[in-house]
Amino acid sequence: MLKKVGYCSSMEAHGAPGAKERFRRCNTLQWNNLGQLPNFGNCLIWQPMTPQDISNLIVRTSMKDRAAFDLLYRQTSAKLFGACLRVLKDRGEAEEALQEVFVKIWTKADRFAVSELSPISWLVAIARNHAIDRIRARREPAAYIDAALEVADPAPGPEAAAVAGGESERIYRCLDELEKDRAAAVRGAYLKGESYAELAVRHDVPLNTMRTWLRRSLLKLRECLER
Amino acid sequence: MTLAQDDGPESGGDDLFAAEYVLGVLAADEREIASRRIEADAAFARLVDAWEVRLSPMADAYPETEPPIRVKEAIDRRLFVAEPRAGLWSSLAFWRGLAAASVAALAITIAAPYLNPPVEQPRLIASLSAGGSDVRYLAVYDAARREVGLSHVSGERAAGKDFELWMIVGKNPPVSMGVIPAGQTAHMTISPAVQEKLAQGAVLAVSLEPAGGSPTGQPTGPVVAAGDLKSI
Repeated sequence: MLKKVGYCSSMEAHGAPGAKERFRRCNTLQWNNLGQLPNFGNCLIWQPMTPQDISNLIVRTSMKDRAAFDLLYRQTSAKLFGACLRVLKDRGEAEEALQEVFVKIWTKADRFAVSELSPISWLVAIARNHAIDRIRARREPAAYIDAALEVADPAPGPEAAAVAGGESERIYRCLDELEKDRAAAVRGAYLKGESYAELAVRHDVPLNTMRTWLRRSLLKLRECLER
Repeated sequence: MTLAQDDGPESGGDDLFAAEYVLGVLAADEREIASRRIEADAAFARLVDAWEVRLSPMADAYPETEPPIRVKEAIDRRLFVAEPRAGLWSSLAFWRGLAAASVAALAITIAAPYLNPPVEQPRLIASLSAGGSDVRYLAVYDAARREVGLSHVSGERAAGKDFELWMIVGKNPPVSMGVIPAGQTAHMTISPAVQEKLAQGAVLAVSLEPAGGSPTGQPTGPVVAAGDLKSI
């Protein structure tokens, strides 16, 4: 079986980026009598990247390191594509948005240094904001139809919150302190990028009422999160 | 609080405006204003960042979905394909090439009705190698034949050991595609499930395993060669 021996470090990026770097090997290199190959024996392990690894990739991307950019894409594109799909609800458009998002990441990776966000959250924020900008540009007129056709997401049950764990557990606990329909509006707005206008139709309240609801909800959320 | 007070984003102050931007509820023109302020006003940018931090745990709910390989190819084309050189138009070789290409295109146009209709079948290629190892393979995935063809370039397996081929998609653990038969070239038939994943783009890797392949279903020996599948 795979067993960790000694401590492990990422392999350097050269040659074929992508594959090699996702195997981590132990620093205790042993040679055996099998020929030319160093034997990592039992200590070859397969690990997903840590936030620190992702940070390093973003920093290297800001220095126009293409191998790092390729690996960053490999590691994070599925999450970012998931965000684009959820907001845009159209595969073709989500693919285009993802292209633009990674072009942005390539050109603006240096901004990461000034953000307080975790690396993956920083990347997701770029994707989410870009997808929301796109959907606003696209479908202001169709909002009413879309909103009427769509069924509200069910609130995540306690099991979902428990699975999510940690930080998300905290935000869901704070959302629970809000009235049910307001918490649902906050979640819908955040995850799907719904506008005040769409939410007002969905929840059958005037736009200004929705605005007041959400502003108060945001202030309550902050108060709860900072408690 | 009266409705009048709630009318514009300004009335809630910068902090609420930042919060509304991050939440995603603003209309197109308001988002435009917010984006410009993020660029120009560091204090406002910090307010936005703080709200991104507060609300970002909700993004855990986004499911991961592997994008198709064409997305990365399009990104690479947009970012890295060199512009045609200025000297191109005056290059004799270019015009000769163009003339030859025109003749070839004409020939194809004439012959096309007599040829088989083209079938959209992806062909992907990968060059497999790794630092610290002299093992090299060239791999070609032929979707029509449902096989991966391997050409052995260099590096021998040790006595009593086998090379095993692995497919890695996204962040998933490696999936075995079988022990590579010894010899200059090898053809490995692949299952429909693996085929479907290969079409989306994957990494191929070769590991050194005990004779007959890994006993655990995961690589147990060193990865001696690896590379990305790219379309040609």
